[in-house]
Amino acid sequence: MNKNNLFSSYDKLPNTWDEMYNDNAEFRVQYEQFVEYLKNTSPEKLSTKEELAKQLFMSQGVTFTVYNNNEGIEKIFPFDIVPRIITAEEWDKIERGIKQRLKALNLFIKDIYHEQFIIKDGIIPGELIFSCPYFLREMKGVNVPHDIYVHISGVDLIRNEDGEFYVLEDNLRTPSGVSYMLENREISKRLFPGILPKNGVRSVSNYPNFLYRKLKDLSPIVNPNVVLLTPGIYNSAYYEHTTLARLMGIELVEGNDLVVKDHFVYMKTTNGLKQVDVIYRRVDDDYLDPLEFKAESILGVAGIMAAYRKGNVIIVNAPGTGIADDKAIYIYVPDMIRYYLGEEPILKNIKTYQLSKPVELEYVTQHIREMVIKKTDGSGGYGMLMGHEASDEEIKDYLDTVKKKPDGFIAQPILKLSTAPCFIDGKLSPRCIDLRPFALSGVDGVDICPGGLTRVALKKGSLVVNSSQGGGSKDTWVLK
Amino acid sequence: MLSRVANNLIWMNRYMARGNGILALLKVNFYANQDSPELFSWTPVIKNFASSETEFHTEDTIECIDYMIFETSNDNSIINIVTRARENARSVQEHISRESWLCINNYYLFLTNNNLRQRLKEEDPIRLLEELLGHHLMFYGTNDIMQERGPAYYFMNVGRYLERVILISDFTTLKLKEISEATDDLEKGLYWRNLLLVVGGYQKYLKTYKSSFNEDQIIDLIFRDKLFPRSVYYCINKLNRHITELIEEGELGNNNLQFLLGKLESSIKYTTIENIKDQGLQNFVDGIKQDIGDISENINSVYYTPIN
Repeated sequence: MNKNNLFSSYDKLPNTWDEMYNDNAEFRVQYEQFVEYLKNTSPEKLSTKEELAKQLFMSQGVTFTVYNNNEGIEKIFPFDIVPRIITAEEWDKIERGIKQRLKALNLFIKDIYHEQFIIKDGIIPGELIFSCPYFLREMKGVNVPHDIYVHISGVDLIRNEDGEFYVLEDNLRTPSGVSYMLENREISKRLFPGILPKNGVRSVSNYPNFLYRKLKDLSPIVNPNVVLLTPGIYNSAYYEHTTLARLMGIELVEGNDLVVKDHFVYMKTTNGLKQVDVIYRRVDDDYLDPLEFKAESILGVAGIMAAYRKGNVIIVNAPGTGIADDKAIYIYVPDMIRYYLGEEPILKNIKTYQLSKPVELEYVTQHIREMVIKKTDGSGGYGMLMGHEASDEEIKDYLDTVKKKPDGFIAQPILKLSTAPCFIDGKLSPRCIDLRPFALSGVDGVDICPGGLTRVALKKGSLVVNSSQGGGSKDTWVLK
Repeated sequence: MLSRVANNLIWMNRYMARGNGILALLKVNFYANQDSPELFSWTPVIKNFASSETEFHTEDTIECIDYMIFETSNDNSIINIVTRARENARSVQEHISRESWLCINNYYLFLTNNNLRQRLKEEDPIRLLEELLGHHLMFYGTNDIMQERGPAYYFMNVGRYLERVILISDFTTLKLKEISEATDDLEKGLYWRNLLLVVGGYQKYLKTYKSSFNEDQIIDLIFRDKLFPRSVYYCINKLNRHITELIEEGELGNNNLQFLLGKLESSIKYTTIENIKDQGLQNFVDGIKQDIGDISENINSVYYTPIN
């Protein structure tokens, strides 16, 4: 019998997949071991662990700083101590699905910046591509090393009420969060000593080594100078940049540390200029080169794009990958998979309505209460309309905006994100989650780290997992 | 190494050395002030070691310590100094040991903990100052044991010794002013003893010269001693050594630096107490400060000159 009442008030959401309980209110097999552990652990002890986790994040400097009246306040991203557990079988499908998807997306980007067969064959309308703000004319005809555009990606998955994983969005530009995958695991090791090996959890700690090897192999040079380009200490992901640079043993550089001379990129060192061969940049396309994009950018390096086009430096991810993770292009990814690979998509897309099509706009307007409307170029959970909780006035205003520029918006039915147990106020409660596995594409193929970032909407009933909107994260256990 | 990184390493250590020095001063002045508040008032501490434009004034011990440690409007408060040291450390994490980073980060978190300021008002202030000083000792010890010898280590030491010479010079200037205004030898003796305490040389002095305070011997210890790690000569000798290492590793253009340092080092080595007294200790200190200023600017110029 339970020693405690941790499980006593677990109110499953209706018509929602729960990661821990099946429909008969039995524990799913992957959770059995951990549930056993929880049953034998008092809520007080778990609270102590929760407090310990917070302290560990602080003392390791896993924080971001919010500046207010000249005073920096250190914040941590909320962390829920109960891990999210994925079976080997589920993972296998996710892995195959992401690999397939990335293969097609990479071919698509290459095609778009070269022959554009997919437009000529009428699969994707050309105007959609050319009007997309992420389409970089500067990349037209540029041959990138090994034809790899998307080296690092973090595809967001959600699990619908049918238990299937669906792709929510493909993050193909500079996805962040991988340091939380690594750090959450390190914390779990300390919170639950001995429990990870007992459960047969696959390790994620090799990620930086894999990443370094993929970056290094891109260059024809034996020992290339690989650097990580950060926007600087005020960036909210700065912690991640320092961590990755440190764990890979590479230099963390800012735009000011680099200079372009005769179409080669150099870093300014204490003993002169040193050539840079591979740049893992965490600076957006727009800020990369003030000569070609935003002229006022001080985060980038003047002339870097010219050096890149000459093949003198490798930029990771390639500029212009945003064309493939635009929300309007997303709709066509299943078609891309069929077109380029001749396969059926392993991971499904979420039904998406293009508001530029009058019929679909009409349908969405009629069913607005069941819809979420998003900007095609938005991210971070900003600028969305959640039909089920908006007021009539908000809906009217939003639709007026949509009608002015309907091709800037898409709509999706409000999803039933699966729920996972979270330790909240001394009890377990279900909260909505998603999953961001991290994939690395390189010369030797695609590797996906067995784990990822599980983001969780900590507010009761909320579907928004973004950290900017009250979301937190969990450790993600993939079992052997 | 990136020039920015070298610069940040130097400054990280300058800030840590400065914090260490200011905390030591607060601790020594706390005790002295309890004995004779008229000789060891708080006003000169604030005037010389808070930000230069401050108009803050207090003779209340706890208020002054609070201002010097926690007041964010005081540019040179410990909290500001440690915040800057930490920002420097944060951006060079791949060059310093993990332990050093954790050490500085934990120091910062300790300082910014909300209860700490309250504790100063309610508990033994010396214990608090010692806890803060302990973080500096931990930082030095951690670097000593964990940091591999190489450019990063040398740059860190350049910052540390530069700042230390500046601090000793500033402490001496402060005391000399008080000594010049002192009315009798007993008072002068108290100031000299106080200077020894502030630079942490009191114990060494007692061991060497026993408990009789002789001005010449004190000057000798603070400025010319070869084995006392907080003497000006010792610091300049170390500075010279680390800069030579950097030049030899090709990390630093020679740029007249070795000449400047060699000159300063021998001017201290071969200056007798009589010479110092002839020219006046204050002039001698001013000379050192001038030279150190030139050296520091010389190093800066290496890293701020755009390489093109």
